[in-house]
Amino acid sequence: MSGQTTPQDRGQPLLTVRALTRRFGGLVAVSGLDFDLHAGEILGLIGPNGAGKSTTFNMIAGTLTPTTGDIHLAGRPVGGLPPHEMAARGVMRTFQHNNLFAGMSLRENVMIGMHVGLASSLLGVITGRAAVRESEGAARRRADELLDFVGLADVREHDVTTLSFGQGRLLEAARALAGEPRLILFDEPAAGLAPAECDRLGRILQQIAARGIGVLLIEHDMRFLLELAHRVVVLDHGERIATGTPEEIRHDRSVIAAYLGSSARTTAAGGTDA
Amino acid sequence: MKTVVQAALVIVVLSAIGFLLGPWQTDIYRKLLLWIALALSYNFLFGVAGQVAFSHFTFYGIGAYAIVILVTQVGMPLPLAALAGVALCVVLALAVAIPATRLDGFYLALATLALAQLFIVFLNEGGAVTGGTGGLASYRLPDIAGVTLSGPRYTVVIVLLTTLTWGVISRLDRSWFGRACRAIRDNPQAAAAMGIDVARTRVIAFTLTSVLAGIAGMVYAFVDNTVNPPIFGLENAFLLLFMVIIGGSGSQFGAVIGATVLYLLPFVLAPLIGHHHALVFGVVMLAVILVQPRGLVGLVKSRPGAGQ
Repeated sequence: MSGQTTPQDRGQPLLTVRALTRRFGGLVAVSGLDFDLHAGEILGLIGPNGAGKSTTFNMIAGTLTPTTGDIHLAGRPVGGLPPHEMAARGVMRTFQHNNLFAGMSLRENVMIGMHVGLASSLLGVITGRAAVRESEGAARRRADELLDFVGLADVREHDVTTLSFGQGRLLEAARALAGEPRLILFDEPAAGLAPAECDRLGRILQQIAARGIGVLLIEHDMRFLLELAHRVVVLDHGERIATGTPEEIRHDRSVIAAYLGSSARTTAAGGTDA
Repeated sequence: MKTVVQAALVIVVLSAIGFLLGPWQTDIYRKLLLWIALALSYNFLFGVAGQVAFSHFTFYGIGAYAIVILVTQVGMPLPLAALAGVALCVVLALAVAIPATRLDGFYLALATLALAQLFIVFLNEGGAVTGGTGGLASYRLPDIAGVTLSGPRYTVVIVLLTTLTWGVISRLDRSWFGRACRAIRDNPQAAAAMGIDVARTRVIAFTLTSVLAGIAGMVYAFVDNTVNPPIFGLENAFLLLFMVIIGGSGSQFGAVIGATVLYLLPFVLAPLIGHHHALVFGVVMLAVILVQPRGLVGLVKSRPGAGQ
Protein backbone atom coordinates (compact mmCIF):
# COMPACT_ATOMS: atom_id res chain seq x y z
CA MET A 1 0.00 0.00 0.00
CA SER A 2 2.71 2.47 0.97
CA GLY A 3 4.75 3.83 -1.87
CA GLN A 4 1.66 4.44 -4.04
CA THR A 5 0.30 7.90 -4.62
CA THR A 6 -2.35 8.25 -1.98
CA PRO A 7 -5.68 9.81 -2.92
CA GLN A 8 -5.29 12.71 -0.52
CA ASP A 9 -2.73 14.23 -2.89
CA ARG A 10 -5.50 15.02 -5.33
CA GLY A 11 -7.79 18.05 -5.05
CA GLN A 12 -10.61 18.99 -2.69
CA PRO A 13 -11.48 16.57 0.10
CA LEU A 14 -14.74 14.64 -0.19
CA LEU A 15 -15.44 14.85 3.51
CA THR A 16 -14.20 17.60 5.79
CA VAL A 17 -14.66 17.37 9.53
CA ARG A 18 -13.77 20.47 11.55
CA ALA A 19 -13.87 21.05 15.31
CA LEU A 20 -16.50 18.32 15.57
CA THR A 21 -17.73 18.01 19.15
CA ARG A 22 -20.44 15.97 20.79
CA ARG A 23 -21.41 16.13 24.44
CA PHE A 24 -23.76 13.78 26.28
CA GLY A 25 -24.69 15.75 29.38
CA GLY A 26 -21.37 16.34 31.13
CA LEU A 27 -19.51 13.75 29.08
CA VAL A 28 -17.55 14.96 26.08
CA ALA A 29 -17.59 11.99 23.70
CA VAL A 30 -15.87 13.75 20.81
CA SER A 31 -13.93 16.96 21.20
CA GLY A 32 -12.68 19.31 18.48
CA LEU A 33 -12.09 16.59 15.92
CA ASP A 34 -10.55 17.55 12.55
CA PHE A 35 -9.90 15.30 9.58
CA ASP A 36 -10.34 15.08 5.81
CA LEU A 37 -11.28 12.16 3.61
CA HIS A 38 -10.70 12.12 -0.14
CA ALA A 39 -12.54 10.36 -2.93
CA GLY A 40 -11.05 6.91 -3.43
CA GLU A 41 -9.37 6.95 -0.04
CA ILE A 42 -9.75 4.41 2.74
CA LEU A 43 -9.49 6.31 5.99
CA GLY A 44 -9.26 4.26 9.15
CA LEU A 45 -10.68 5.57 12.39
CA ILE A 46 -9.34 3.72 15.41
CA GLY A 47 -9.06 4.08 19.13
CA PRO A 48 -9.67 2.14 22.31
CA ASN A 49 -13.20 1.48 23.52
CA GLY A 50 -14.92 4.72 24.44
CA ALA A 51 -12.56 6.79 22.29
CA GLY A 52 -15.47 8.37 20.39
CA LYS A 53 -15.27 6.35 17.15
CA SER A 54 -18.92 5.38 17.09
CA THR A 55 -20.05 8.84 18.09
CA THR A 56 -18.06 10.31 15.21
CA PHE A 57 -19.43 7.68 12.85
CA ASN A 58 -23.00 8.36 13.92
CA MET A 59 -22.61 12.12 13.46
CA ILE A 60 -21.42 11.59 9.89
CA ALA A 61 -24.20 9.05 9.24
CA GLY A 62 -26.76 11.53 10.58
CA THR A 63 -28.00 9.45 13.53
CA LEU A 64 -26.44 11.90 16.00
CA THR A 65 -26.44 15.68 15.78
CA PRO A 66 -23.09 17.37 16.47
CA THR A 67 -23.10 19.65 19.50
CA THR A 68 -20.73 22.00 17.67
CA GLY A 69 -18.42 21.81 14.69
CA ASP A 70 -18.86 21.25 10.97
CA ILE A 71 -19.17 18.36 8.57
CA HIS A 72 -18.87 19.17 4.87
CA LEU A 73 -19.47 16.80 2.00
CA ALA A 74 -17.87 17.99 -1.25
CA GLY A 75 -17.85 21.49 0.17
CA ARG A 76 -21.48 21.58 1.32
CA PRO A 77 -22.44 21.60 5.00
CA VAL A 78 -24.21 18.41 6.00
CA GLY A 79 -23.80 18.38 9.79
CA GLY A 80 -27.04 17.62 11.62
CA LEU A 81 -28.94 16.26 8.62
CA PRO A 82 -31.06 13.15 9.36
CA PRO A 83 -29.85 9.74 8.08
CA HIS A 84 -32.09 9.62 5.02
CA GLU A 85 -30.85 13.06 3.95
CA MET A 86 -27.26 11.93 4.34
CA ALA A 87 -28.02 8.88 2.20
CA ALA A 88 -29.68 11.10 -0.40
CA ARG A 89 -26.43 13.10 -0.56
CA GLY A 90 -24.40 9.98 -1.19
CA VAL A 91 -23.37 8.83 2.27
CA MET A 92 -24.24 5.16 2.79
CA ARG A 93 -23.37 3.05 5.79
CA THR A 94 -23.17 -0.50 7.06
CA PHE A 95 -24.06 -1.65 10.54
CA GLN A 96 -21.93 -3.32 13.16
CA HIS A 97 -24.59 -5.96 13.70
CA ASN A 98 -25.97 -6.81 10.30
CA ASN A 99 -29.14 -4.85 9.69
CA LEU A 100 -30.74 -6.66 6.79
CA PHE A 101 -34.41 -6.66 5.84
CA ALA A 102 -35.69 -10.07 6.86
CA GLY A 103 -38.36 -11.75 4.78
CA MET A 104 -36.90 -10.30 1.59
CA SER A 105 -34.56 -11.78 -0.95
CA LEU A 106 -30.96 -10.66 -1.27
CA ARG A 107 -31.87 -8.91 -4.49
CA GLU A 108 -34.66 -6.96 -2.85
CA ASN A 109 -32.32 -5.95 -0.04
CA VAL A 110 -29.88 -4.52 -2.56
CA MET A 111 -32.72 -2.80 -4.43
CA ILE A 112 -33.72 -1.01 -1.23
CA GLY A 113 -30.23 0.48 -1.29
CA MET A 114 -31.25 2.10 -4.60
CA HIS A 115 -34.25 3.84 -3.04
CA VAL A 116 -33.03 7.40 -3.61
CA GLY A 117 -32.37 6.84 -7.31
CA LEU A 118 -35.57 4.86 -7.89
CA ALA A 119 -38.13 6.92 -5.99
CA SER A 120 -40.33 8.57 -8.58
CA SER A 121 -43.92 9.72 -8.84
CA LEU A 122 -46.38 7.36 -7.14
CA LEU A 123 -48.90 8.22 -9.83
CA GLY A 124 -46.48 6.68 -12.33
CA VAL A 125 -46.31 3.56 -10.17
CA ILE A 126 -50.11 3.26 -9.88
CA THR A 127 -50.76 3.86 -13.57
CA GLY A 128 -48.01 1.40 -14.52
CA ARG A 129 -46.03 3.97 -16.52
CA ALA A 130 -43.45 2.35 -18.82
CA ALA A 131 -40.58 4.43 -17.43
CA VAL A 132 -41.28 3.05 -13.94
CA ARG A 133 -41.17 -0.54 -15.20
CA GLU A 134 -37.96 0.13 -17.10
CA SER A 135 -36.16 1.67 -14.14
CA GLU A 136 -37.35 -1.24 -12.02
CA GLY A 137 -35.88 -3.69 -14.53
CA ALA A 138 -32.62 -1.75 -14.66
CA ALA A 139 -32.47 -1.73 -10.86
CA ARG A 140 -32.94 -5.49 -10.81
CA ARG A 141 -30.09 -6.00 -13.27
CA ARG A 142 -27.83 -3.67 -11.33
CA ALA A 143 -28.67 -5.46 -8.08
CA ASP A 144 -27.62 -8.73 -9.69
CA GLU A 145 -24.33 -7.15 -10.82
CA LEU A 146 -23.63 -5.94 -7.32
CA LEU A 147 -24.43 -9.34 -5.83
CA ASP A 148 -22.04 -10.81 -8.36
CA PHE A 149 -19.41 -8.26 -7.29
CA VAL A 150 -19.57 -9.41 -3.66
CA GLY A 151 -19.84 -13.07 -4.63
CA LEU A 152 -23.46 -13.69 -3.64
CA ALA A 153 -25.00 -14.04 -7.10
CA ASP A 154 -25.81 -17.73 -6.57
CA VAL A 155 -28.14 -17.04 -3.67
CA ARG A 156 -29.69 -13.78 -4.88
CA GLU A 157 -33.25 -15.17 -4.80
CA HIS A 158 -32.85 -16.57 -1.29
CA ASP A 159 -34.32 -15.02 1.79
CA VAL A 160 -31.68 -13.10 3.75
CA THR A 161 -32.43 -15.10 6.89
CA THR A 162 -30.65 -18.05 5.22
CA LEU A 163 -27.33 -16.17 5.09
CA SER A 164 -24.35 -16.69 7.36
CA PHE A 165 -23.12 -13.71 9.35
CA GLY A 166 -20.20 -13.22 6.96
CA GLN A 167 -22.45 -13.36 3.90
CA GLY A 168 -24.67 -10.78 5.58
CA ARG A 169 -21.67 -8.47 5.81
CA LEU A 170 -21.00 -8.85 2.10
CA LEU A 171 -24.65 -8.18 1.36
CA GLU A 172 -24.49 -5.01 3.45
CA ALA A 173 -21.55 -3.87 1.34
CA ALA A 174 -23.50 -4.55 -1.86
CA ARG A 175 -26.53 -2.73 -0.48
CA ALA A 176 -24.43 0.30 0.48
CA LEU A 177 -22.91 0.33 -3.03
CA ALA A 178 -26.37 0.17 -4.58
CA GLY A 179 -27.03 3.77 -3.60
CA GLU A 180 -24.18 4.89 -5.89
CA PRO A 181 -22.61 6.61 -2.92
CA ARG A 182 -19.73 9.04 -2.80
CA LEU A 183 -18.81 7.86 0.68
CA ILE A 184 -19.43 4.59 2.50
CA LEU A 185 -19.10 4.32 6.24
CA PHE A 186 -18.14 0.84 7.44
CA ASP A 187 -18.85 0.16 11.10
CA GLU A 188 -16.44 -2.58 12.23
CA PRO A 189 -16.95 -4.71 9.12
CA ALA A 190 -14.42 -7.36 10.15
CA ALA A 191 -16.00 -8.03 13.55
CA GLY A 192 -17.18 -11.63 13.78
CA LEU A 193 -15.71 -12.71 10.45
CA ALA A 194 -13.49 -15.73 9.82
CA PRO A 195 -10.01 -14.92 8.41
CA ALA A 196 -10.94 -15.96 4.86
CA GLU A 197 -14.06 -13.79 5.02
CA CYS A 198 -11.94 -10.88 6.29
CA ASP A 199 -9.60 -11.18 3.31
CA ARG A 200 -12.49 -11.22 0.90
CA LEU A 201 -14.11 -8.20 2.53
CA GLY A 202 -10.76 -6.40 2.50
CA ARG A 203 -10.42 -6.91 -1.25
CA ILE A 204 -13.97 -5.64 -1.75
CA LEU A 205 -13.20 -2.50 0.26
CA GLN A 206 -10.13 -1.87 -1.89
CA GLN A 207 -12.17 -2.31 -5.06
CA ILE A 208 -14.79 0.08 -3.73
CA ALA A 209 -12.12 2.71 -3.08
CA ALA A 210 -10.63 2.04 -6.52
CA ARG A 211 -14.00 3.09 -7.98
CA GLY A 212 -13.40 6.55 -6.52
CA ILE A 213 -15.69 6.12 -3.53
CA GLY A 214 -14.46 7.41 -0.18
CA VAL A 215 -14.34 4.78 2.56
CA LEU A 216 -14.41 5.56 6.26
CA LEU A 217 -13.54 2.48 8.23
CA ILE A 218 -14.04 2.03 11.95
CA GLU A 219 -12.36 -1.09 13.11
CA HIS A 220 -11.16 -2.82 16.24
CA ASP A 221 -9.11 -5.33 14.27
CA MET A 222 -5.84 -3.41 13.91
CA ARG A 223 -4.25 -5.79 11.45
CA PHE A 224 -7.25 -5.66 9.14
CA LEU A 225 -7.39 -1.89 9.28
CA LEU A 226 -3.67 -1.12 8.97
CA GLU A 227 -3.41 -3.31 5.88
CA LEU A 228 -6.26 -1.57 4.14
CA ALA A 229 -6.22 2.07 5.17
CA HIS A 230 -4.38 4.71 3.20
CA ARG A 231 -4.41 6.93 6.26
CA VAL A 232 -5.43 6.46 9.86
CA VAL A 233 -6.91 8.81 12.45
CA VAL A 234 -6.45 7.68 16.05
CA LEU A 235 -8.86 8.82 18.74
CA ASP A 236 -8.51 8.58 22.47
CA HIS A 237 -10.91 10.07 25.02
CA GLY A 238 -12.72 11.87 22.21
CA GLU A 239 -9.66 13.62 20.87
CA ARG A 240 -7.42 12.98 17.90
CA ILE A 241 -4.07 11.82 19.23
CA ALA A 242 -2.44 10.88 15.94
CA THR A 243 -2.95 10.85 12.20
CA GLY A 244 -0.79 9.42 9.47
CA THR A 245 -0.07 6.44 7.27
CA PRO A 246 -0.44 2.96 8.80
CA GLU A 247 3.36 2.77 9.01
CA GLU A 248 3.56 6.01 11.00
CA ILE A 249 0.71 4.92 13.29
CA ARG A 250 2.39 1.59 14.06
CA HIS A 251 5.34 3.48 15.52
CA ASP A 252 3.58 6.39 17.11
CA ARG A 253 4.35 6.50 20.82
CA SER A 254 1.11 8.14 21.89
CA VAL A 255 -0.87 5.50 20.00
CA ILE A 256 1.05 2.67 21.60
CA ALA A 257 0.58 4.26 25.00
CA ALA A 258 -3.16 4.73 24.47
CA TYR A 259 -3.64 1.15 23.43
CA LEU A 260 -1.39 -0.40 26.04
CA GLY A 261 -2.85 1.85 28.67
CA SER A 262 -6.41 0.89 28.03
CA SER A 263 -6.41 -2.62 26.65
CA ALA A 264 -3.89 -5.40 26.88
CA ARG A 265 -5.55 -7.56 24.24
CA THR A 266 -4.64 -5.31 21.33
CA THR A 267 -1.26 -3.92 20.47
CA ALA A 268 -0.65 -0.91 18.32
CA ALA A 269 2.41 -2.56 16.85
CA GLY A 270 0.15 -4.61 14.64
CA GLY A 271 0.27 -8.31 14.09
CA THR A 272 -2.05 -9.49 16.81
CA ASP A 273 -5.62 -8.86 17.60
CA ALA A 274 -8.25 -10.30 19.86
CA MET B 1 -50.17 -6.43 -22.10
CA LYS B 2 -50.61 -9.85 -20.57
CA THR B 3 -51.75 -8.37 -17.28
CA VAL B 4 -54.27 -6.13 -19.06
CA VAL B 5 -55.84 -9.19 -20.72
CA GLN B 6 -55.85 -11.05 -17.42
CA ALA B 7 -57.45 -8.12 -15.62
CA ALA B 8 -60.11 -7.76 -18.32
CA LEU B 9 -60.87 -11.46 -18.09
CA VAL B 10 -61.23 -11.29 -14.30
CA ILE B 11 -63.53 -8.27 -14.58
CA VAL B 12 -65.71 -9.99 -17.18
CA VAL B 13 -66.00 -13.21 -15.18
CA LEU B 14 -66.68 -11.48 -11.84
CA SER B 15 -69.24 -9.19 -13.53
CA ALA B 16 -70.92 -12.11 -15.29
CA ILE B 17 -71.40 -13.82 -11.93
CA GLY B 18 -73.28 -10.70 -10.83
CA PHE B 19 -75.81 -11.20 -13.62
CA LEU B 20 -76.50 -14.80 -12.62
CA LEU B 21 -77.30 -14.28 -8.95
CA GLY B 22 -80.64 -13.79 -7.25
CA PRO B 23 -81.28 -10.80 -4.95
CA TRP B 24 -80.14 -12.52 -1.74
CA GLN B 25 -76.93 -13.90 -3.27
CA THR B 26 -76.28 -10.57 -4.99
CA ASP B 27 -76.25 -8.84 -1.61
CA ILE B 28 -73.74 -11.34 -0.22
CA TYR B 29 -71.64 -11.22 -3.38
CA ARG B 30 -71.44 -7.43 -3.38
CA LYS B 31 -70.50 -7.24 0.27
CA LEU B 32 -67.92 -9.96 -0.15
CA LEU B 33 -66.31 -7.96 -2.96
CA LEU B 34 -66.34 -4.85 -0.77
CA TRP B 35 -64.74 -6.73 2.14
CA ILE B 36 -62.06 -8.01 -0.24
CA ALA B 37 -61.37 -4.47 -1.48
CA LEU B 38 -61.06 -3.27 2.13
CA ALA B 39 -58.89 -6.22 3.14
CA LEU B 40 -56.56 -5.56 0.18
CA SER B 41 -55.89 -1.96 1.12
CA TYR B 42 -55.77 -2.75 4.84
CA ASN B 43 -53.30 -5.53 4.17
CA PHE B 44 -51.00 -2.99 2.55
CA LEU B 45 -51.29 -0.69 5.55
CA PHE B 46 -51.09 -3.32 8.28
CA GLY B 47 -49.29 -6.23 6.63
CA VAL B 48 -46.90 -4.52 4.23
CA ALA B 49 -46.30 -1.14 5.86
CA GLY B 50 -46.63 -2.62 9.36
CA GLN B 51 -48.82 0.17 10.71
CA VAL B 52 -51.19 -0.90 13.45
CA ALA B 53 -54.11 1.36 12.58
CA PHE B 54 -57.74 0.85 13.59
CA SER B 55 -59.15 3.59 11.40
CA HIS B 56 -59.46 1.72 8.11
CA PHE B 57 -63.11 0.87 8.57
CA THR B 58 -63.71 4.40 9.81
CA PHE B 59 -62.46 5.80 6.50
CA TYR B 60 -64.87 3.39 4.80
CA GLY B 61 -67.61 5.05 6.85
CA ILE B 62 -66.32 8.55 6.19
CA GLY B 63 -66.42 7.87 2.44
CA ALA B 64 -69.94 6.43 2.68
CA TYR B 65 -71.40 9.24 4.79
CA ALA B 66 -69.54 11.93 2.85
CA ILE B 67 -70.92 10.96 -0.53
CA VAL B 68 -74.48 10.62 0.76
CA ILE B 69 -74.40 13.95 2.59
CA LEU B 70 -72.71 15.79 -0.27
CA VAL B 71 -75.09 14.42 -2.91
CA THR B 72 -78.41 14.48 -1.04
CA GLN B 73 -78.00 17.40 1.36
CA VAL B 74 -75.46 19.68 -0.30
CA GLY B 75 -76.73 18.79 -3.76
CA MET B 76 -73.34 18.28 -5.37
CA PRO B 77 -73.11 16.39 -8.65
CA LEU B 78 -71.83 12.85 -8.04
CA PRO B 79 -68.31 13.22 -9.53
CA LEU B 80 -67.70 16.41 -7.55
CA ALA B 81 -69.01 14.77 -4.37
CA ALA B 82 -66.66 11.82 -4.94
CA LEU B 83 -63.70 14.17 -5.34
CA ALA B 84 -64.71 16.10 -2.22
CA GLY B 85 -65.02 12.81 -0.34
CA VAL B 86 -61.50 11.82 -1.40
CA ALA B 87 -60.23 15.24 -0.33
CA LEU B 88 -61.90 14.82 3.06
CA CYS B 89 -60.25 11.41 3.52
CA VAL B 90 -56.86 12.89 2.59
CA VAL B 91 -57.20 15.74 5.08
CA LEU B 92 -58.36 13.49 7.92
CA ALA B 93 -55.69 10.87 7.17
CA LEU B 94 -52.96 13.52 7.21
CA ALA B 95 -54.33 15.01 10.41
CA VAL B 96 -54.05 11.62 12.13
CA ALA B 97 -50.89 10.30 10.50
CA ILE B 98 -48.58 13.32 10.61
CA PRO B 99 -48.56 13.71 14.40
CA ALA B 100 -48.87 9.96 15.10
CA THR B 101 -46.06 8.69 12.85
CA ARG B 102 -43.57 11.05 14.44
CA LEU B 103 -44.00 8.98 17.57
CA ASP B 104 -43.79 5.26 18.18
CA GLY B 105 -46.18 2.93 16.33
CA PHE B 106 -48.17 2.53 19.53
CA TYR B 107 -49.40 6.10 19.21
CA LEU B 108 -50.77 5.46 15.75
CA ALA B 109 -52.86 2.66 17.23
CA LEU B 110 -54.16 5.03 19.92
CA ALA B 111 -54.76 7.93 17.55
CA THR B 112 -56.65 5.77 15.06
CA LEU B 113 -58.75 4.20 17.83
CA ALA B 114 -59.60 7.71 18.98
CA LEU B 115 -60.58 8.69 15.44
CA ALA B 116 -62.76 5.58 15.13
CA GLN B 117 -64.59 6.40 18.38
CA LEU B 118 -64.91 10.10 17.57
CA PHE B 119 -66.45 9.22 14.22
CA ILE B 120 -69.16 7.14 15.90
CA VAL B 121 -69.86 9.94 18.38
CA PHE B 122 -70.03 12.39 15.50
CA LEU B 123 -72.48 10.15 13.62
CA ASN B 124 -74.72 9.69 16.66
CA GLU B 125 -74.71 13.37 17.60
CA GLY B 126 -74.71 14.80 14.10
CA GLY B 127 -78.43 15.67 14.07
CA ALA B 128 -80.02 16.08 10.66
CA VAL B 129 -76.66 16.02 8.87
CA THR B 130 -75.78 12.45 9.83
CA GLY B 131 -79.26 11.34 10.78
CA GLY B 132 -78.15 10.53 14.35
CA THR B 133 -78.44 6.96 15.59
CA GLY B 134 -80.81 6.03 12.78
CA GLY B 135 -78.40 7.17 10.10
CA LEU B 136 -79.43 8.18 6.58
CA ALA B 137 -81.73 6.23 4.34
CA SER B 138 -84.12 6.48 1.39
CA TYR B 139 -81.68 8.06 -0.98
CA ARG B 140 -80.55 6.58 -4.25
CA LEU B 141 -77.64 6.81 -6.64
CA PRO B 142 -78.19 9.64 -9.13
CA ASP B 143 -78.21 8.61 -12.76
CA ILE B 144 -74.81 8.89 -14.39
CA ALA B 145 -75.01 10.36 -17.91
CA GLY B 146 -78.61 9.19 -18.13
CA VAL B 147 -77.76 5.63 -17.09
CA THR B 148 -79.34 4.16 -13.98
CA LEU B 149 -76.79 1.95 -12.24
CA SER B 150 -78.79 -0.59 -10.32
CA GLY B 151 -79.04 -4.34 -9.98
CA PRO B 152 -76.28 -6.27 -11.77
CA ARG B 153 -74.98 -3.04 -13.31
CA TYR B 154 -74.13 -1.74 -9.88
CA THR B 155 -72.46 -5.07 -9.11
CA VAL B 156 -70.17 -4.32 -12.06
CA VAL B 157 -69.23 -1.04 -10.36
CA ILE B 158 -68.23 -3.01 -7.26
CA VAL B 159 -66.27 -5.52 -9.34
CA LEU B 160 -64.36 -2.60 -10.88
CA LEU B 161 -63.67 -1.16 -7.45
CA THR B 162 -62.26 -4.44 -6.14
CA THR B 163 -60.16 -5.24 -9.20
CA LEU B 164 -58.81 -1.68 -9.38
CA THR B 165 -57.91 -1.85 -5.70
CA TRP B 166 -56.10 -5.12 -6.40
CA GLY B 167 -54.24 -3.50 -9.31
CA VAL B 168 -53.25 -0.36 -7.41
CA ILE B 169 -52.10 -2.30 -4.35
CA SER B 170 -50.12 -4.86 -6.32
CA ARG B 171 -48.35 -2.16 -8.33
CA LEU B 172 -47.52 -0.28 -5.14
CA ASP B 173 -46.35 -3.47 -3.47
CA ARG B 174 -44.01 -4.44 -6.29
CA SER B 175 -42.57 -0.95 -6.68
CA TRP B 176 -39.84 0.93 -4.84
CA PHE B 177 -42.61 2.25 -2.61
CA GLY B 178 -43.71 -1.22 -1.48
CA ARG B 179 -40.11 -2.18 -0.83
CA ALA B 180 -39.60 0.99 1.20
CA CYS B 181 -42.73 0.24 3.25
CA ARG B 182 -41.58 -3.31 3.99
CA ALA B 183 -38.09 -2.05 4.83
CA ILE B 184 -39.58 0.36 7.36
CA ARG B 185 -41.78 -2.39 8.81
CA ASP B 186 -38.76 -4.67 9.27
CA ASN B 187 -36.12 -2.18 10.34
CA PRO B 188 -36.81 1.58 10.39
CA GLN B 189 -33.22 2.45 11.34
CA ALA B 190 -31.70 0.57 8.42
CA ALA B 191 -34.42 1.91 6.11
CA ALA B 192 -33.46 5.48 6.99
CA ALA B 193 -29.81 4.67 6.31
CA MET B 194 -30.84 3.57 2.81
CA GLY B 195 -32.24 7.05 2.15
CA ILE B 196 -35.87 6.27 2.94
CA ASP B 197 -37.71 9.13 4.62
CA VAL B 198 -39.42 6.96 7.22
CA ALA B 199 -42.00 9.45 8.51
CA ARG B 200 -42.98 10.63 5.03
CA THR B 201 -43.32 7.10 3.65
CA ARG B 202 -45.49 6.08 6.60
CA VAL B 203 -47.75 9.09 6.15
CA ILE B 204 -48.12 8.43 2.42
CA ALA B 205 -48.92 4.73 2.97
CA PHE B 206 -51.51 5.60 5.60
CA THR B 207 -53.12 8.31 3.48
CA LEU B 208 -53.21 6.28 0.27
CA THR B 209 -54.76 3.22 1.87
CA SER B 210 -57.22 5.34 3.86
CA VAL B 211 -58.35 7.01 0.64
CA LEU B 212 -58.84 3.58 -0.96
CA ALA B 213 -61.01 2.63 2.02
CA GLY B 214 -62.94 5.89 1.62
CA ILE B 215 -63.58 5.18 -2.06
CA ALA B 216 -64.82 1.69 -1.18
CA GLY B 217 -67.14 3.34 1.34
CA MET B 218 -68.55 5.63 -1.34
CA VAL B 219 -69.39 2.57 -3.43
CA TYR B 220 -70.87 0.82 -0.39
CA ALA B 221 -73.19 3.77 0.32
CA PHE B 222 -75.37 2.80 -2.65
CA VAL B 223 -75.43 -0.93 -1.95
CA ASP B 224 -77.97 -0.85 0.88
CA ASN B 225 -78.96 2.77 0.27
CA THR B 226 -78.69 3.33 3.98
CA VAL B 227 -75.78 4.22 6.24
CA ASN B 228 -75.96 4.09 10.02
CA PRO B 229 -73.51 4.24 12.95
CA PRO B 230 -73.45 0.56 14.06
CA ILE B 231 -72.06 -0.54 10.67
CA PHE B 232 -68.93 1.54 11.15
CA GLY B 233 -68.18 0.56 14.74
CA LEU B 234 -65.07 -1.11 16.08
CA GLU B 235 -66.51 -4.59 15.66
CA ASN B 236 -66.05 -4.44 11.90
CA ALA B 237 -62.67 -2.73 12.29
CA PHE B 238 -61.45 -5.75 14.23
CA LEU B 239 -63.09 -8.16 11.81
CA LEU B 240 -61.02 -6.52 9.06
CA LEU B 241 -57.88 -6.96 11.15
CA PHE B 242 -58.72 -10.65 11.66
CA MET B 243 -59.31 -11.10 7.93
CA VAL B 244 -55.82 -9.85 7.14
CA ILE B 245 -54.11 -11.82 9.92
CA ILE B 246 -55.96 -15.08 9.26
CA GLY B 247 -55.50 -14.78 5.50
CA GLY B 248 -51.79 -14.08 5.83
CA SER B 249 -50.51 -10.65 6.80
CA GLY B 250 -48.53 -9.02 3.99
CA SER B 251 -49.96 -11.20 1.22
CA GLN B 252 -52.57 -9.98 -1.26
CA PHE B 253 -53.89 -13.47 -1.89
CA GLY B 254 -54.05 -13.88 1.86
CA ALA B 255 -56.23 -10.78 2.14
CA VAL B 256 -58.65 -12.22 -0.42
CA ILE B 257 -58.73 -15.61 1.30
CA GLY B 258 -59.09 -14.09 4.78
CA ALA B 259 -61.91 -11.77 3.72
CA THR B 260 -63.74 -14.57 1.91
CA VAL B 261 -63.45 -17.10 4.74
CA LEU B 262 -64.37 -14.73 7.55
CA TYR B 263 -67.20 -13.02 5.68
CA LEU B 264 -68.80 -16.26 4.52
CA LEU B 265 -68.18 -18.21 7.74
CA PRO B 266 -71.26 -16.87 9.60
CA PHE B 267 -73.51 -17.75 6.66
CA VAL B 268 -72.26 -21.30 6.82
CA LEU B 269 -72.19 -21.57 10.60
CA ALA B 270 -75.31 -19.62 11.62
CA PRO B 271 -77.78 -22.31 10.51
CA LEU B 272 -75.71 -24.87 12.40
CA ILE B 273 -74.86 -23.17 15.67
CA GLY B 274 -76.73 -19.87 15.65
CA HIS B 275 -75.07 -16.92 17.29
CA HIS B 276 -72.19 -18.97 18.62
CA HIS B 277 -70.28 -18.37 15.40
CA ALA B 278 -68.42 -15.52 17.13
CA LEU B 279 -66.83 -18.18 19.29
CA VAL B 280 -65.68 -20.03 16.17
CA PHE B 281 -63.99 -16.81 14.99
CA GLY B 282 -61.89 -16.77 18.11
CA VAL B 283 -60.97 -20.43 17.79
CA VAL B 284 -60.07 -20.08 14.10
CA MET B 285 -57.99 -17.01 14.92
CA LEU B 286 -56.05 -18.80 17.64
CA ALA B 287 -55.61 -21.93 15.57
CA VAL B 288 -54.19 -19.98 12.62
CA ILE B 289 -51.78 -18.00 14.81
CA LEU B 290 -50.55 -21.14 16.55
CA VAL B 291 -50.46 -23.57 13.63
CA GLN B 292 -49.76 -21.37 10.62
CA PRO B 293 -48.50 -17.92 11.63
CA ARG B 294 -48.21 -16.96 7.98
CA GLY B 295 -51.96 -17.30 7.68
CA LEU B 296 -54.15 -19.43 5.46
CA VAL B 297 -52.14 -18.35 2.42
CA GLY B 298 -49.15 -20.03 4.05
CA LEU B 299 -50.89 -23.36 3.56
CA VAL B 300 -50.83 -23.01 -0.22
CA LYS B 301 -47.72 -20.93 -0.79
CA SER B 302 -44.29 -22.16 0.19
CA ARG B 303 -42.60 -18.76 0.20
CA PRO B 304 -43.79 -15.94 2.42
CA GLY B 305 -43.77 -12.51 0.90
CA ALA B 306 -45.54 -9.88 -1.03
CA GLY B 307 -48.01 -12.02 -2.92
CA GLN B 308 -46.15 -11.56 -6.15
